[in-house]
Parts: sequence; C-alpha cells; structure tokens
Amino acid sequence: MFLEVSVGIIGTFNISLDKLSNGELWLAQFFRGLSDGATYASLALALVMIYKSTGFINFAQGSLALLGVYLAYVFSVEQGLPVALAVVCAMAASALVALGIERIFIRPFPPNRVLPLVIVTLGLLLIIDSSVGIVWQFRTRNLPSMFPDGAPIEWGIAQLTWRTIGNLGTVFLVVGLLYLLLSRTKIGLAFRAVSSNLESAQLVGIRVGPTLGFGWALAAAIGTLGGSLVVPDLLLEPSVMLRVLIFSLAAAALGGLDSMVGAVLGGLVVGLARNLLVTFLDLSELALATAVAVILVVLLVRPTGLLGSTHLERV
Amino acid sequence: MALAPVVANGVQHRRRQIIGWVLFGLLVALIPFLIADTYSPTIFGNRYTVGLGNLSHAIALMVAILGLNIATGYSGQLSLGHSFFVGSGAYLTAVLVNDFHWSYFSTLVVVVPALFLFGVVFGLPALRIQGLYLGLLTFAVGAVFPSIVRLEEIADRTGASNGLLIDSDLVAPSWAPLDTLARWLHSVPGLSGRVPDGLTSRQSEAVYKYFLLIIVALGCFWLVRNILAGRVGRALMAVRDNPLGAAANGINLPAYKTLSFGLSAAVGGVAGTMYAMQSGFLGPDEFGFNLAILLIVGMIVGGSATLHGAVAGGLVIQFVPHWASQTQTVPGTDIALQGPYGGVILGALLVAIVFALPGGAATGFGRIKARLMPVVHQPPHR
Repeated sequence: MFLEVSVGIIGTFNISLDKLSNGELWLAQFFRGLSDGATYASLALALVMIYKSTGFINFAQGSLALLGVYLAYVFSVEQGLPVALAVVCAMAASALVALGIERIFIRPFPPNRVLPLVIVTLGLLLIIDSSVGIVWQFRTRNLPSMFPDGAPIEWGIAQLTWRTIGNLGTVFLVVGLLYLLLSRTKIGLAFRAVSSNLESAQLVGIRVGPTLGFGWALAAAIGTLGGSLVVPDLLLEPSVMLRVLIFSLAAAALGGLDSMVGAVLGGLVVGLARNLLVTFLDLSELALATAVAVILVVLLVRPTGLLGSTHLERV
Repeated sequence: MALAPVVANGVQHRRRQIIGWVLFGLLVALIPFLIADTYSPTIFGNRYTVGLGNLSHAIALMVAILGLNIATGYSGQLSLGHSFFVGSGAYLTAVLVNDFHWSYFSTLVVVVPALFLFGVVFGLPALRIQGLYLGLLTFAVGAVFPSIVRLEEIADRTGASNGLLIDSDLVAPSWAPLDTLARWLHSVPGLSGRVPDGLTSRQSEAVYKYFLLIIVALGCFWLVRNILAGRVGRALMAVRDNPLGAAANGINLPAYKTLSFGLSAAVGGVAGTMYAMQSGFLGPDEFGFNLAILLIVGMIVGGSATLHGAVAGGLVIQFVPHWASQTQTVPGTDIALQGPYGGVILGALLVAIVFALPGGAATGFGRIKARLMPVVHQPPHR
C-alpha cells in the first residue's frame, strides 16, 4: 500500500509539454500569482508587525482579518457605503478591537514569555472564528472588490485586471506608508525602539504597553485591508481566512519574520509559486502543500528567511 | 471535612492510594452500564445526552492528547499539527481493515512503527527549527492533512471527501459476559433504575468497544508513564527546560528531540486507531486544523506535562462542544442559541486557564486533593 501511495504521489507530477510551452498560460498564471501574492503579502505584513514588536507569531491574525472583512461586508453591502470607505471603516473598527484585545489579553503577560502568549492567540483564534460563525452563520456571501472589474491589458487568456493592479498598488502603498510612519514619526520611533530592545526602550522612558497596543492596532488594520483584497476573489465564509493565513505564514517565513520588505517579497514569491506549481504540475488538491513545502525548505536552508536578521544566542 | 494527614509512602498513604484506584476502577467498569441507555437529563429546558459513544470518543482523544503531551508538554517542542498523526493512524487502520481484512488490533503492528517513522521525519526539522518556527511548520502540516486524503491517486482507498466507512464491526464475542453483567447489575438495588435488564446487540457492541478502548488507553498511559518516569523522560524534560544545559550534561539533543516526536506520533497513531474503532467512519476534515487546535486546548486545559491532565482534557474537548451544540436556548430563558459557540467556550476556557491556572485542571485537582487529603512528606532518615 505504501508503494502504491508513493507511486501515486509521484504520478501526480504529470507535466504536459503543451502547457509548459503555452506562453499565455504562463503570463495568466503570473498575473494571478501577483494578485494572490499581494494579498498574502498584506497579511504577512501584519504578522511581521506583531513578530517584530513582541517576538511571537499571532495565530489570531487571520481571525482578526476575518472579523474585519465581515465588518467591511456589513458596512458596504448591508449599510450601502462605497466599498473603499467601508473597508477603511472596517480597518478602524478592527484596529479598535485589536487594541482592546492587546490591552486585556496580551499585556498582563510578561512580554518575554512567548509560549503562553501563543496559546492565548490560539484561544483568541477559536473565540473570534466561532463568534463570526455565530453572528453571520455559515452562509457564503460575496464581498465586492474595491477596484473596478475588467482588464486594461489583455493578451489572449492572460489578463492584467484592475483588481491585480489595485491589489499590488495597495500593498506597495501600505509598505510605503508604513516605512514613512516608522521612520518619520515619533510613535514609529518608539515602536522601533521597543522592537529593537524592550528593556532599553523602557529605560529611556518609552511607554511600552501603549506602543505595543499601537502595533497590534496597526497590524489588525493591515490584516483587514489584506482580507478585503483577497476575499472578493473567493467567497466570504467563516473559514476563508484560514487558508490565506497559512500562505501568509509561509510568506512571512520566507521573507524573514522580522522584515517588512521580506514579507512583501515572500508574499509575491509564494503567490507565484502557488499558481505556477498548481497549474503546471497539476497539483490542484495540493495547493496548500506548496505553502508547507515553502516553509519547510526555507526553515531548513535559511531559518531566518531571505531578509530576516540573524539572531545570536549568548550563553 | 478534610481527612487526617498521612505520611507520604507510609502504610496509610498506600492504603488510601489503593482504595482510590479501586474506586476509580469500579467507576470505569460501571459507567458503560449506567449510560448504556443513553443518559439524557433535561437541564433548564435543554436536553443533554451522555452516550457511551461520546465517552469512547473522549477516550480516543485522551490518548491523542497524551501523545501531544510527549512532544509539547514534556519535551517543549511546540507541535500544532498533531492531528496529522491521529488522522494518519485512523486512515491507516481503516485501509488495512477494509482492503486487507486485518483485524483492528493487528493493525497496531503496522500503525505504531509507521507513525513512529512519520514522527521521526516530522521531527527532523525540529532539530534546526525551534519554538515558534516549529509551531508554524507543524501548523501548516496539520492543515494539509485533509488535502492529502483527498488526493485523486489514493481516493479509491481513502474515500476522499465522501469519507470512508469501515466495513468491519466490533461485535462483542460470545465469551464476553456483558449481558450477564448487565442483568446482575440490574438486580443490585439502587442500580435497577439505570442499568437495563440485559443489553440489546447495539448496546453490547458499544459497551464492548468502550472496554476495548479502555484497555488500549490504559496500555498507552502505562507505557508512556514508564517511559517518562525513567531516564528518557528526565532527558526530555531537561531538553525542554534548558536545551543548552541538557546538551552540556551529555544529552544527545537531536536524538531525544527526534525520539520525542517519534513517540508522540506513535501514540497519536494509536489514538487514530482507537478513533477508527470507535466511530467506524472517517471524514478528511475531522483530522484537519480544528482537531490540532482542540488537542492543544485539551492539553493546556487539562494541564501540560501531566498524565491525568490528558484524561481531563479529553473529556473537555469531547463534551464541551457536544453539549454546547445541544444547548438550544439560553438556560432558563427561551432566547435561541445557534452556531458554534462551543468553540467560543473552549477558546475562553483556554485563555482563562492560561491566565488563572497555568498548570491546568490537573494542578487544580492536585491542590484540592492536597487540601482534603493532606500528605506529609517526611525528611529522609539520617
């Protein structure tokens, strides 16, 4: 039986030459990969924000984004706001929620003990995901996109849609704004100080708690934005962000968990890898496994990711 | 209220321990007969059921948590993908029983070594990856299991999305005196109201399964206890508490980390076999990311790095969602409740335990027990 299974898995890689020589298909999947990658990048950015400041992975990041996306749905479809405005409102709302969560659940723990914090984020994941399921039930919905339909550039089946352009543009805009925020403002400076060395930051008079709360709020807003970019391509239901979260974790690991540019780069690479591999190797069921493969290879070959800073341990 | 203090390991302490175990054994043996007719009390207008099937399922979960505890609780290797092993064990058993006509028990001969190997392979990254990164990797691996089951190439064996019905029933053999026992218990005054006078074939099957699972679970707990109480266990805990110190004291870190994953996976595989025995039907999504998180919840709520914590944890993650889904209205009112708020309760429980009782339920019970039945430790004689 084992033999059969392994032969079966190898048999999955039936690469057809027709597909490989089809330039339009390459381009089409390239564009789709960029679009997916941009959305993974935005959630990866949120993960990186938290990791940079507190040193742990927030497994509830996808759930916060999920909540944000549902709020965006309420604001846009049910209240009739323009989608872009609804997304901004949802970002603000989820930032508030994250601020509260940080204050109530995260701050009581000493920031250098990682394991209890990770367990708490897993608990938050359960709470938020189930609450969303209770409030909005499991019916699938459609969230409209912020960007117009249609494609300005078409080349056979390859289309560069407004949505792809918009997703990419949004992510680069977010990275640019984040860069400005962190390097040009006072709160950004405080944030960098806290993430660089918590105790020293405390000693020079930075209020660590509110600064970390700011990081959580910012991360939740970015995550919500990322969710609002990706969900229009899928269907809105309570488990939609879980798969996205896994791809984003792969992206963050690839880019280096503490590098924002790395997160964007990682997101794009994972998005491209996912679409190209799935198309050309016929791996539709194994799309998620490509994310695992990326994480595994990165962690084994270069544990700090492409752009992450190396961390020396002194005894 | 509290009993008189006794000296640790003295005669009285021993006697008390033996009485405790005998009472526990009696309880374990009695329960299946008591709830052979599914017990369903109505509390505040909501009907709750305690079926024997649920309890058997909880036993399988206890063993799964026990396995997770080896890698995460005792050795400190954060594994968020333990569902992968439980699922692999369950599907391996199902395929061997269905397509190769093995008996459930004989599949353990394959499941345990195969899953040990799985665990070793799974643990190889743990040699280079630590803490959160490992959690991240295992999280992703656990989430992938359902897609592996759905692969077209093995779909005719695994049933893919349709699930897999195991076409071998565990029927109580004729030598098992379950029916006689039930009749006898029925004649005991005070029990006749609950224990049915003789079991139907369905009931005797459920009771038989329960006892099989109890035996397998006891075997697992006993083996794991012995492994952890000895040299290997101390080495694993040293790896968890201070890897550098452990290495400096001559503990082979790679070997023990790999071993912890191997053992953890093997026990997880047995839990999978038990799952298959109990339910007779497997669906890919039962072993997805949800189960992985539930097992973590069970481990933490029960108490990580404790054995009886696994028992409490298994009961919690089986019965909390089950009863939550049966609560149709807010107790005492007729406001309707709908949706997966079992998840909310479990999540809240997880957060609350991390806040208030970091040692989990096992520590809480330990404190109460120490209060009610104090044990005095005597300094060793000089």
